[in-house]
Amino acid sequence: MRLRAAIAAACLVGVGIAGYLTYVHYTHTAPVCTTGGCEKVQRSKYAELAGVPVALLGLITYVVLIAVSLRRGVEAALAGVLIAFIGVAFSAYLLWAQLGPIGAICQWCLGNDLTIAVVATLYVARMLTESPNT
Amino acid sequence: MPRNRLILLAGAAGVAVIVVVLVIVFAGSGGGSGSGATTSTSTTASSGSMFAGIPQHGETLGSPEAPATLTVFEDPQCPFCREWNLDTLQTVIDNYVRPGKIKLVYRGIPIIGTNSIVGLLAIYAAGEQNKLWNMAEALYRIQGEENSGWITTGAIREAAAAAGANANKILASYRLKATIAKLNAAEQQATASKVGGTPTFFILKPLGTPTQLQVPGLEPAQFTPVLDAALQ
Repeated sequence: MRLRAAIAAACLVGVGIAGYLTYVHYTHTAPVCTTGGCEKVQRSKYAELAGVPVALLGLITYVVLIAVSLRRGVEAALAGVLIAFIGVAFSAYLLWAQLGPIGAICQWCLGNDLTIAVVATLYVARMLTESPNT
Repeated sequence: MPRNRLILLAGAAGVAVIVVVLVIVFAGSGGGSGSGATTSTSTTASSGSMFAGIPQHGETLGSPEAPATLTVFEDPQCPFCREWNLDTLQTVIDNYVRPGKIKLVYRGIPIIGTNSIVGLLAIYAAGEQNKLWNMAEALYRIQGEENSGWITTGAIREAAAAAGANANKILASYRLKATIAKLNAAEQQATASKVGGTPTFFILKPLGTPTQLQVPGLEPAQFTPVLDAALQ
């Protein structure tokens, strides 16, 4: 129960970050940025996937992960692990894009990277400790 | 620790990597250039403006039939660009653009910092209203310290009002793909032309190739002799 609550709490942080970046995208406002690279990252081709802002994809992912955290059982834990791993893999791809082709770092993206890594770790812990009937 | 669950975890990691690779490969990473909004040529007529009566179309200032083209690479945060725009552009317009000798092409690139990108996108967005040169000049007039974050939404609204442009339209379109594509194209041209700083000027004459102007200074007395020589 504690692990599932921790997962939901971490996902809420992710919802905040992804929600803010989605808001920034659709309202055409400049993001608060201390790393100086947010604008460059935001206008890069990596900010969208098939026309959909990656921030919105992240927001949807965190909402789904919260929903999964509310369900009990190994199957739900495995589903959470799979989704979180996809999130980690995609975040790694975006981190590579920032360090490589874009050449700029966005603090919000780094915050998201950290958050999805924490969520994935918690889901792995849940997967390994969850009993079939709880 | 159940062995079968470790196997499931490893499998999930593998599936996740495969899913992400497939999504990236098949969905692509965006980057479309958009439809490229078409704009009609208009004549700027704001009173008291150095651009009054000069045809302006997108990034181009002057008659499309002008035989030579002066391309200017600028950054709205660049103090030397400000100096050229406020001290010398008037002379260039009066002596070369208005008589139809040359047309000017704006190429804004972020040299100073990322705050420049916000200003540049607003400038390119103003181009859709054929107010690009007015917008660039208006931003230079309220230029702040480099990388102090002075190019805000408020600054864009202030500059748009001074430029006689619709600020709401600029803010609605300055992050669109078509606008971003113009900035990206300017950056690519700057890289191809080995532009190392701003302002940088290239002159293109009929049947010629773009030649960089080596100007000793940005004041009219220093700039125009070099331009005259290049046009001969």
